Amino acid sequence: MKGLLPIYKRELLSLFVTPVAWVVAAAFLFLQGFYFFLLVASYATTQDTIQGSGPVEAFFGQTALFYLPLVIICPVLTMRLFAEERRSGTIEALLTAPISPAGVVLGKYLAALTTYVVMWAPTGLYMVLLSRYGEIDTRVVMTGYLGTLLVGAGYLAIGTLSSALTTSQLAAAVAASGFILVLFGVGFGEFFLDAGPARTMASHVSVWAMMNDLSRGLIDSRRLVFWGSMTLVPLFVTVRTVESWRWG
Amino acid sequence: MIEVRGLEKQYGSFRAVRGLSFTVEPGEVLGFLGPNGAGKSTTLRIISGYLGPTKGDVIVDGISVTQDPIRAKQRIGYMPETSPLYPEMKVGEYLRFRAELKGVKGKDRKAAVRRSLEDAGLDDMEGVLIGHLSKGYRQRVGLADALVASPPLLVLDEPTAGLDPNQIREVRALVTRLKDKHTIVLSTHILSEVEAVCTRGVVIAKGQLVAQGTLDELYELRKATAVRIRVRNLPAALKSEIAALEGVREVTEVGAASAFVRLEIAFESAEVGDLATERVVERLAAAGAGVLEVVPQSSLETVFSELTRVDDSGGGLAA
Repeated sequence: MKGLLPIYKRELLSLFVTPVAWVVAAAFLFLQGFYFFLLVASYATTQDTIQGSGPVEAFFGQTALFYLPLVIICPVLTMRLFAEERRSGTIEALLTAPISPAGVVLGKYLAALTTYVVMWAPTGLYMVLLSRYGEIDTRVVMTGYLGTLLVGAGYLAIGTLSSALTTSQLAAAVAASGFILVLFGVGFGEFFLDAGPARTMASHVSVWAMMNDLSRGLIDSRRLVFWGSMTLVPLFVTVRTVESWRWG
Repeated sequence: MIEVRGLEKQYGSFRAVRGLSFTVEPGEVLGFLGPNGAGKSTTLRIISGYLGPTKGDVIVDGISVTQDPIRAKQRIGYMPETSPLYPEMKVGEYLRFRAELKGVKGKDRKAAVRRSLEDAGLDDMEGVLIGHLSKGYRQRVGLADALVASPPLLVLDEPTAGLDPNQIREVRALVTRLKDKHTIVLSTHILSEVEAVCTRGVVIAKGQLVAQGTLDELYELRKATAVRIRVRNLPAALKSEIAALEGVREVTEVGAASAFVRLEIAFESAEVGDLATERVVERLAAAGAGVLEVVPQSSLETVFSELTRVDDSGGGLAA
């Protein structure tokens, strides 16, 4: 893991001195704020509330608004990680330093993940606001954020890999978005496929189903394992890709 | 310090380096000389651990670059040819990052960055954004980066390429200052660069070793063992007369056209070549033949003719 820390610090610096992170975070918070407003307004005018459903649950799980920004945002956060270094040639200086490929990959990945977490952090204020005017279940909030972190970790790992596979940032972002959409689409199979192995698989892959569970406070270890693999496998392949550049 | 053993590098079907072997002794400044496309950068990239060899190995300070790349890289300060840098970082920030990456401890880092800035002539540039620097200053940042962890070995890929004559002089002066503390390998396609700063040269062409040795030894190797002469109006009897001249071993006709004849004149040894050439030309002229062209033939000559010669005073420009 040699090199992890300095690379992590440098990536964070370059994400935040360039406008990318700020633009993405601003757009993201605007969307989430608008969405939160719609949800609260809708629940405020509803007469009867169903058990296990409220603005917090809806925020994390029950509409597509949660995922749509992530399909774009995660690839944008990761697209430059390797593509830009290879296009500009700085990768040569980086890889001739005494560091390990795993350190490079993890340092960069964790910087993207940190940015993702920082981006979500202000939404914690929504929970504070809600708790002042009503009761919220902090355990549900926590599982909701756990799901957010899992999904983000997986999407960012996919984005990191796709950035290592091309020297064009745009291609990296488009490829990652495409793959995430496919994954999302497979999950939808749960709703229209007949009962059988295909549907079972679809429901395991489904980010929708996982967030639905987590937004109600249900933690299913199978989903944790799946999203853990969704994170580790792309990162492992990225490490091998970085190693393979020596032999190109 | 460095042992390059039977190095081969294949890019697809192109063999960039073909069985290259040489050594670099501690304290040497080795000029790695060759025309463009000879495989210089590829070789230096393999030494620095950026590329892996298809065959062979490089041993740096007893450590194999292929078996233990991280430890080998700790001993090398490498400056890539184009010095690619992060434009969004400040010079000082970048060097602190590089120092940390190369394992310079936190408490020593400030001093290490300070020293490398001074050594590379960047004293006042610490707070400047890299994106705002000129080509010459970027090159210096690349040098400072190579120096920052005080590695015993410096590997510089074309350190003067693209610089103006003043900057070239400064870089050469810097290399001269550094050679007491570091073993240095620098690549170049400029002959006078080797003369100016190096203690020894390795000459490669088409991925293969052509010659190596001290500068005097290289000049010795350049001496022609034969010349090719293109002559107009050559009297028939003259050929055997030339062959009988002192120092000449053999005369063969290697080509002819309606207007001229091409002769290859082999000498008894390279030492008598210059004198014998003079005698041959004099004799030809005296006999009324027109000498159109005299081309010395030596194994190194073709390589050297492809190298750029630059006036050492800095009057010329590197092509």
